[in-house]
Amino acid sequence: MKKKDIVFGVIWLLLGLVLTVLCCLETLDEFWSGMGSALMVVGIVRLLRSYRLSRSETYREQREVAETDERLHFIRNKAWAWAGYLFIIICALSTIVFKLLNQDLLCMASGGAVCLMLVLFWVSFFILKKKY
Amino acid sequence: MKNKIEAIRKEKGILQEEFAKAMGVSRQTISSLENGRYNPSILLAHKIATFFGMTIEEVFIFEEE
Repeated sequence: MKKKDIVFGVIWLLLGLVLTVLCCLETLDEFWSGMGSALMVVGIVRLLRSYRLSRSETYREQREVAETDERLHFIRNKAWAWAGYLFIIICALSTIVFKLLNQDLLCMASGGAVCLMLVLFWVSFFILKKKY
Repeated sequence: MKNKIEAIRKEKGILQEEFAKAMGVSRQTISSLENGRYNPSILLAHKIATFFGMTIEEVFIFEEE
């Protein structure tokens, strides 16, 4: 687990660094510069976490409990479910608002997002139904 | 679902932190269980009952809704 964190931390950091350098050399556009900075931050955070895990026994125990605690798993799953419901409601309302504003492209995009979420839900539902 | 976790734990003189550590959960989870805000999985319920040397029915009170 710790080794994996270090390896991925280094990979993200290097990838971010390469993207940032390429953007500085004007080989890539600004989008990739932002992506590079974000990857570098992710890499640094992962490496700092690994360092802290290797130094502090208390922190390691806290992390272990946080990863295995069933109430936190339950809350996490519930939060994802709520996020999904809210996303569908917001997209559905946006579809109506964009239609009223004659923004057909945005209307189609938000309507498509609602359809995609519903398809993903049913696919997940049938897969999980077979599993359990 | 109601439970007697807090009463049994206090009777045995165990702190929430110690109990949480033994169960492999956070102290907040123990607090939520004791307040009845969270119902444990059957695995955790079994672990808690075994820790106290009791049966699940002796620790947890099942009420039909």
